[in-house]
Amino acid sequence: MSGLAPMFPNEKPEHPYLTKSYGGKIFGNFASLFCGGCGYGIIGQIFTRIFEDEKLDPKLHPTVIGIGCYSQILLLVHEASQKVLALHGRAPAVATGMKMANPKMKPIVFSGDGDCLGIGGNHFIHLCRRNVDCLIMIFNNSVYAMTGGQGAPTTLYGAKSTTTPYKMFENRSDGVKLALAAGAPYVARTTVAHPRTLMKYFRKALRHKGTSVIEIITPCVTYFGRKNLSSLGAEYMGEKGEKMDTGGKMIDWIKRNSVRINRAKFMTEEELFNKYVIGEFRYEPKPEYSDEYAKIQKIAMGGK
Amino acid sequence: MSSMNDKRFLPEGKHLLMGNIAMVEGAISAGLSFFGGYPITPSTEAIEHLAKRLPEVGGCCMQMEDELASINSVIGASLVGAKAMTATSGPGLSLMAETISMAANLEIPFVFCDVQRNGPGTGLVTEPHHNDLGLMRFSGNGEFQVITLAPMNCQELFDLTITAFNFAETYRCPVFIMSDAYLGHLHEVVNIPPKEEILKRVIKREPPKEKQARVFSYKDPATGKYVIPKPPIMGTDYCPGLFLHLPHGPEGLPTPKPMVFLEMMIDKIKSNIDKICMVDKYKLEDAEIVIVAYGLPVRTSYRAVDIARKEGIKVGILRLITVWPFPDDIVKDVVKDAKAVIVPELNYTGVIAEQVERVTKLTTPIIKLGKVAEFHHPDDILKAIREVSK
Repeated sequence: MSGLAPMFPNEKPEHPYLTKSYGGKIFGNFASLFCGGCGYGIIGQIFTRIFEDEKLDPKLHPTVIGIGCYSQILLLVHEASQKVLALHGRAPAVATGMKMANPKMKPIVFSGDGDCLGIGGNHFIHLCRRNVDCLIMIFNNSVYAMTGGQGAPTTLYGAKSTTTPYKMFENRSDGVKLALAAGAPYVARTTVAHPRTLMKYFRKALRHKGTSVIEIITPCVTYFGRKNLSSLGAEYMGEKGEKMDTGGKMIDWIKRNSVRINRAKFMTEEELFNKYVIGEFRYEPKPEYSDEYAKIQKIAMGGK
Repeated sequence: MSSMNDKRFLPEGKHLLMGNIAMVEGAISAGLSFFGGYPITPSTEAIEHLAKRLPEVGGCCMQMEDELASINSVIGASLVGAKAMTATSGPGLSLMAETISMAANLEIPFVFCDVQRNGPGTGLVTEPHHNDLGLMRFSGNGEFQVITLAPMNCQELFDLTITAFNFAETYRCPVFIMSDAYLGHLHEVVNIPPKEEILKRVIKREPPKEKQARVFSYKDPATGKYVIPKPPIMGTDYCPGLFLHLPHGPEGLPTPKPMVFLEMMIDKIKSNIDKICMVDKYKLEDAEIVIVAYGLPVRTSYRAVDIARKEGIKVGILRLITVWPFPDDIVKDVVKDAKAVIVPELNYTGVIAEQVERVTKLTTPIIKLGKVAEFHHPDDILKAIREVSK
């Protein structure tokens, strides 16, 4: 029909974990639209894997995707999933509408740091507050990568970006703390350098009824790594880093810059400055919004 | 949420209803099952009433955190097959514009009630002012065609809301109901028709019986007519798998021909203009002077015309029930032999007067009667009629 049609195949690929895409025809199924060293390929693969392994019903798990580099993930994720590209920052609101109009559904929201903590911060807070049953993943690469590497609310102190050419001096926004304060019952943070942990959290979130927030630290070599030194986040150690211009260096940096929550308990504020604390922060299931609304409907219909 | 029960319909007969409430009762009878809203004067009664009524019929009324969230939840609900609507005022409409544009692209049906208030800025929040007409026509980025209906009393707020839902289902575009602060707060007797009669009118949201890949509108090359399929529903087989709001073809896949897509967006409505455009003609048979009006000023015009007819002045009213798309041909036909056209409007610019000027190509004198935040007295219109007839 159109020249772009082969990019969006409708047929099921031979191997469930792999997707056939336009690039796949050239690179033999291992292609993505992302830059070298990007973490979104890992996330897309993990999503596809879990979708296949857990035998998720695509009709009950619509995928709502925000705007950012990760919007291209819709080419990578499982072909059976029903995907909506929402507007910038509004994915949590779209998911709320879906869940409430069809309470059997459990939407999966893909969202970025600029999407969810910047423009759509309000929707994110209220999604967590209401405890609408959905899984929201915040991909944090600490820059606005799609528009060319501008500073984001999550950019680390001292990091360079195109809109902070000297250095970032604003305070950092913390998605996990925001979700905890807003009352999300399941909050976790991990990185793409810990894919097995990510899969574990993903599975747990799918089984949990309520809002699950997983923040995923992912590398952006093109717009973040190339401009910043690997000593970022460890300045107090007096070490002189090098430019993180490959995926490997960024993954190394992410591993070095992440602190397990158990260890973070014994660290001071200064030591945790510019660090990512990873792990499960809260798992306290509580009444879910659509269940509670069903009770309201019963009252309204004349029940008790 | 499709478990609609008998509480969906008000008992048959006469009810004294406020405008906003008549509007939402019309929506509930049309099968509304999701409302996402944010309180804003003068539309607040809509969300207040629905918070009580929608759970009764198994629907969901959500007070969202802001207008952006309410319109986005509405399109989310509409995507999974609920009939959804929102109600707001001018400031809310301008916040929602971005999402309206997205919904128009993806052909997501929803109904939007704009209870207009004075502006710009905060303005006088309880005074009527038809100043969102342009915003309703051109809301959001990009080119697309919307449908705007202009009721003039509470009975029509009830009836036209049902029509609006049917238009949204049929033509798959944003449908606006143009109300205002006075009309929304007006208490009038509304005649509720029997349940069977309403059910006969309402178009249900259901996927087509046989499977089809084309879920978005397209031009049939054989007939040259636009085919508008039923809205796809997520969570069923009748869903494209990808909803991308970029120029797309009938299967939902991106197309490298944005012009073809844009033509479809606009012409699918324009080619059905005779079904969409509703007008009401009052004493127009021998009229030399034509009043073109819509919304509440029509009611003032009726009085002015009756008095003028007693004085022997041949004057009639062309009432626009559908404001957008503008019924070019009908207006052209009516005003072609007119001595003058009077356009009483509740705004200073004269949005519709400009459209009439465009249609008549400035050959007929057009008198704009603008009023802001108050009503025309019949004498205002009468004075204009008398001056023109001299």
